[in-house]
Amino acid sequence: MTDVEEGTAARAGSPRQNPGRCWVYWPFRVTTIAAAVLLFDQAVFAGQFLAGTFPALHTHRENATFAGIAVLLAAVAAIPIRWPGRGPWWPIAACLGLLGAIAVQIVLGFSRALALHIPLGVSIIVAGVALAVWAWRPHRMPVAGRR
Amino acid sequence: MSRLSRRQFLRIAAATGAGAGIGVPLLSGISGSSSTGVVLTSRLRLPAPFQVPLSIPPVLSPTRSDATGDHYEMTQRRARVEILPGVNTPIWGYDGIFPGPTIHARRGRTVTVHHRNDLPVPVVVHLHGSRTPHGSDGYPTDLIVPPGWQRPPPTPMLPADPHANVVVGHRDYVYPMTQQAATLWYHDHRMGFTGASVWRGLAGFFLIHDDTEQALPLPGGDRDLPIMLTDRAFDADGTLRYPSLEPDLYDTPGVHDPYSSGVLGDVILVNGRPWPYAEVVGARHRLRILNASNARRYRLTLDPPPPGGGGLVQIGSDGGLLERPIAHDAIDIAEAERFDIVIDFGRYRPGQNVVLRNAFGGGGTANVMRFQVTRRVRDDSHIPANLATIEPVPLSGATTTRHFLFQNRGGAMGWQINGQPFEPTVVNAATRLGDTEVWTLIADFHHPIHLHLVQFQILSRGLNGPGPHDHGWKDVIDLRPAEEATIVTRFIGYPGRYVFHCHNLEHEDMAMMGNFTAS
Repeated sequence: MTDVEEGTAARAGSPRQNPGRCWVYWPFRVTTIAAAVLLFDQAVFAGQFLAGTFPALHTHRENATFAGIAVLLAAVAAIPIRWPGRGPWWPIAACLGLLGAIAVQIVLGFSRALALHIPLGVSIIVAGVALAVWAWRPHRMPVAGRR
Repeated sequence: MSRLSRRQFLRIAAATGAGAGIGVPLLSGISGSSSTGVVLTSRLRLPAPFQVPLSIPPVLSPTRSDATGDHYEMTQRRARVEILPGVNTPIWGYDGIFPGPTIHARRGRTVTVHHRNDLPVPVVVHLHGSRTPHGSDGYPTDLIVPPGWQRPPPTPMLPADPHANVVVGHRDYVYPMTQQAATLWYHDHRMGFTGASVWRGLAGFFLIHDDTEQALPLPGGDRDLPIMLTDRAFDADGTLRYPSLEPDLYDTPGVHDPYSSGVLGDVILVNGRPWPYAEVVGARHRLRILNASNARRYRLTLDPPPPGGGGLVQIGSDGGLLERPIAHDAIDIAEAERFDIVIDFGRYRPGQNVVLRNAFGGGGTANVMRFQVTRRVRDDSHIPANLATIEPVPLSGATTTRHFLFQNRGGAMGWQINGQPFEPTVVNAATRLGDTEVWTLIADFHHPIHLHLVQFQILSRGLNGPGPHDHGWKDVIDLRPAEEATIVTRFIGYPGRYVFHCHNLEHEDMAMMGNFTAS
């Protein structure tokens, strides 16, 4: 993760600093934190469902769609990190992979394969939160805007 | 420096947003639910609590008593009654009243009830908690249809039953009464429409007495009160609100969303009166509490509790007297359960008001009724340390273990047992008379599971033993969300086909029912 260490990179005077492209992480930051919150809320609604609140199942189902959309938007928002930002491309792949996992998760949920649905759900939340944490860490691009 | 501040600000904003995005839904639903269901609200002004006096359902007299037993007659008909003060409410009632008239039976003396159906739909009468031969048990397809009734075509929601015993107009239900003293109740049990019919008023008490119980110095006479708890919702015109898919209750069972998980009302009725009050003398009173609600569970407490606590002394459960009394501060009562309790109002000051509250409720549903203690009187009653003998069912004799998963699988008939909706022709458990069986029951939501024909004992809940409200003979077990429990019973009684089902009546109507046969 040395390439994302803002301070180090700035002091090193990285040649890739570009004052015009400091915005490229922001769409990803906004969408990943929204996705992480919506994904975590799935656990909240599942817990309420297990605590006997039947309507929480409906909320859990609806929120799954919103969480999926947020992850899709995050995949789109990861593009400027690479182009024009010349940052890593793997966030795009990670979001698409997460989207695939969510699709599987929805199928498992509707088929009531809870023995898989719950561990996969935990994994998806961990991945979603990890993406948001990475997005919000200092990166080279924003620091390039220091004038 | 200003750039750093902006970054910090954005991070704080993001953290706050994330915290709210998780925290708000988390905290708003943190308490879970004490009942599985959705509240239907009334559309008229509800009365203040404790304004109307408690009423006790009238006792039905036999039309004839002879060597063969006691004979009763009842007519199920439409009526208009005053439930809320000054409001006219159409009901369906046994003899046109809600609750229906109370029948007092004696152990060993056969009771025959001749039921006439003057309602526009078929009916079925089940005597809940009784050991009754199949033909009189009120199997859900053994209808009493009104004259001229056209049988609806079978549908996936209303499967055909080639074994149904359908009669026109009237039927004799014969109850041998071979069981000990207990608080039973009778109610409608028509396949697919039980919830709607009971909501309209088809429920009443049936009390069995015996020598053992009568030899005990328990409070009796007008200090032995049947207490039927129901919750209801009213429309602006005074009619009872209920979200039936088909309000005529002809051929489409079930309720519309979002009520398919259970219908809860916002008015608590005790013996058909809203939040009543009762004047009681400062002495022990026996309350035979029945939760006849469709989907509501209650946690009953006394406010204020008597000095020293333990104000609700349980002496009996669904199937009759406990071995020993148990003092509770709170009683959790699920749909169809009965708790026979004694409250000693002599522990309160004369003039004091004691409110029976529902700790599971909120707003209006947090109140049940109020007792107003009048004067202290000499009290000859007491609660003996030993009430009855309860033989534990010997586990060593258990021949069969069965597992039943009570779970929602979605769809119109989505409340299912082991992934199957109710089908009259499918036998879910073929038992042999005299056999002991252990049943493991697992629930996804609140599912009060009721077995016909038998009384059972609760062995465990999850990793623990029976809960504080699980003692004695039971015919309903209050399964809570994501809970597993085991019960043991001996199949004694009569051969034939009987049902076991969830007593959340919406779940029952939407297929959470199975058959066991005894042979």
